[in-house]
Amino acid sequence: MRDRMRKAWLGTLAVALLVSLAWGVNEYQAAKHFRTALDVQHQRSLQGFAGHLDQLDTDLAKGAVAGSANQQVLYLGRVSSQSEAANHDLAQLPADQTGLSYVGQLLAQTAAFANSLSQRVAVGGAISAGEAKTLGDIHTRVIQVNRKVQDLLVRSNTENLAWTSTPARFSLAGIFGRTQVAEAAAEGQAGSAPRSVRNGLEQLDASLEKLPPLKYQGEYSTRSVAKPLGLPAGQVTRQQAQTVAQDFLTKAGYQGLVPVPAGETKGPLAAYTFTAKTAYLEVSRQGGVVLLFRDQRPIGTRTLSVAQGKSKAAAVLHAMHWNLALTSVQDDGSYIQLEAVSEENGIYYYPDKVRLMVALDNGQLVGYDATAYWAFHHTRSFPGPRVTLPEAEKKLPAGFSLTSTHLAVIPRPGNREVLCYELRGRYRGEEYLIYVDALNGKEEKIERVIYTPRGEFIQ
Amino acid sequence: MLSRRRWGITLGIVLSLILSTVAFGALGGRLLSRGTNGPDVREMQAKLIQLGYPVGPLDGKFGPRTENAVREFQQGHGLKVDGIAGPKTIGELNRLTGSSTNASGTALGNKSADVNLLAHIVNGEARGEPFIGQVAVAAVVLNRLKNPAFPKTIAGVIYQPGAFSSVSDGQVNKQPTASSIRAAREALSGVDPSHGALYFFNPAKTNNRYIWSRPEITKIGQQIFTS
Repeated sequence: MRDRMRKAWLGTLAVALLVSLAWGVNEYQAAKHFRTALDVQHQRSLQGFAGHLDQLDTDLAKGAVAGSANQQVLYLGRVSSQSEAANHDLAQLPADQTGLSYVGQLLAQTAAFANSLSQRVAVGGAISAGEAKTLGDIHTRVIQVNRKVQDLLVRSNTENLAWTSTPARFSLAGIFGRTQVAEAAAEGQAGSAPRSVRNGLEQLDASLEKLPPLKYQGEYSTRSVAKPLGLPAGQVTRQQAQTVAQDFLTKAGYQGLVPVPAGETKGPLAAYTFTAKTAYLEVSRQGGVVLLFRDQRPIGTRTLSVAQGKSKAAAVLHAMHWNLALTSVQDDGSYIQLEAVSEENGIYYYPDKVRLMVALDNGQLVGYDATAYWAFHHTRSFPGPRVTLPEAEKKLPAGFSLTSTHLAVIPRPGNREVLCYELRGRYRGEEYLIYVDALNGKEEKIERVIYTPRGEFIQ
Repeated sequence: MLSRRRWGITLGIVLSLILSTVAFGALGGRLLSRGTNGPDVREMQAKLIQLGYPVGPLDGKFGPRTENAVREFQQGHGLKVDGIAGPKTIGELNRLTGSSTNASGTALGNKSADVNLLAHIVNGEARGEPFIGQVAVAAVVLNRLKNPAFPKTIAGVIYQPGAFSSVSDGQVNKQPTASSIRAAREALSGVDPSHGALYFFNPAKTNNRYIWSRPEITKIGQQIFTS
């Protein structure tokens, strides 16, 4: 009896062993398959990275000698797209650690800078001597990066370099194949031969860190302006800000709701923050105006149409003494989102924007964002248009069916504002907004209008 | 004559049966409520998931989780909250998941790739944070697009190696909630409660020296936003 039991146990164990072996082999095969697929993807990214860098080097060299605006736009456009493509490939390569890589940053800066210059040259601008020097600096760095990446590519191909230096916790490949553990232990000193592709890129980063910083900080380093242009003068105390918040809530239809201090924000648009039940408010320290308001109350059954909601928004703006023109509306179901811009003498000032949200259960304001308005609003000194509307319309292609026109000030890269004719119309089944500079007649910007489920959208 | 009438009746019954099957197959052909099953329920479930209302398994069965999702959708879209998908609820679902068009009416697709990816990162990084903090996280991604040191696409910023912990640990792949989608939409419309921040972190969860060295702009919920 005992013997029979023993045999039964041994049989069960043998079957379990066979099953687990089969499972292990199957898992190993699957892992091998995934590893190969990943390896191919990494190879493709490394090859693409090297290829795009090489082309970037060539385009920077050719662009430096291009004399005509057409050739400059062509090569600057190529520099921008090759930099972005190289950065895209770099991001696909395996990384050991977090943080911005210098190579990635250089490529992103190059793309942004070339794109900005290309846009300017395309509308008749010129590249200054300082900008040409910056392009030269970029080229010097790109040559260095490109040379090292080409070396790394050769080494990767000839020495079968591992992708990263991080040892796997347990890997059959590590035991029976090439071992990454030994390689990882052998590296660490900058300047020594890279032991993995990632290590090679890190060494490249370290070598770039020794160079002086590239003198290009972008068209704007963040969305916030360095100094708000529209905030009223003078600082307010938290108590004064609380009164402003209370007044705002009353005008927005929140009777008896008391704002409670919640904290403060720092930076150019520093503000006191408040909460009031489900609502959040920010009141600027300078000038004491409401920058942001958002109520997260549950919204009841819809009783208002979009048009009725729009009327409510106009009434709230009026009660708050705003003189703005509503320019767009989106239907999100329980509320609508609207954009309004300042309007003076028929000119729309698009940078001076206020966003609103109106609940469609009772028409109450549930969202308000005047940050852009207070950041960008100021008294402009544009001379009157030097180009007439009929002259601007001549810029449109033959067959363009014009539906509306008006003057507008639009923001452009490089912290510029341009007074334009906004020409809205249809061409070959598409709808467009075409902006023609009202001072020099140049075509400044093209926007396409599409109709999304929520409303009109400009892209 | 009688035989012809009988044939006519039989044909009528068969046709109405076929038509009713077709009608039940298409979303909007009938009221959907707890206990109904079929391809139209599955289609409705898919649309609810797409808009951030989890229904459990996508199985074409109108169970309690689907009913809850319908209720939440109704609550979030100004509809009568009864858990029954009638013409208004289905109409709103169809509207919000419908295709964008150009001026001549050519369908251009849903055009929500940016919202979708942004909502994934909000869901991965700020689930459980106040709504305004979720908008701020989405705004940080968009602020990076405007900074020359970062890639110029939302995908480029989000999948930048090591940029977001939710990408590293796979949280980003989870289906975003309706709140995350709404926060992403709000940030894309231009709202930025982070005031131009480029980084955010939860002070209780990081000891990264670089990120601690950045000047703080604001704190929303558990997260600090820095320039």
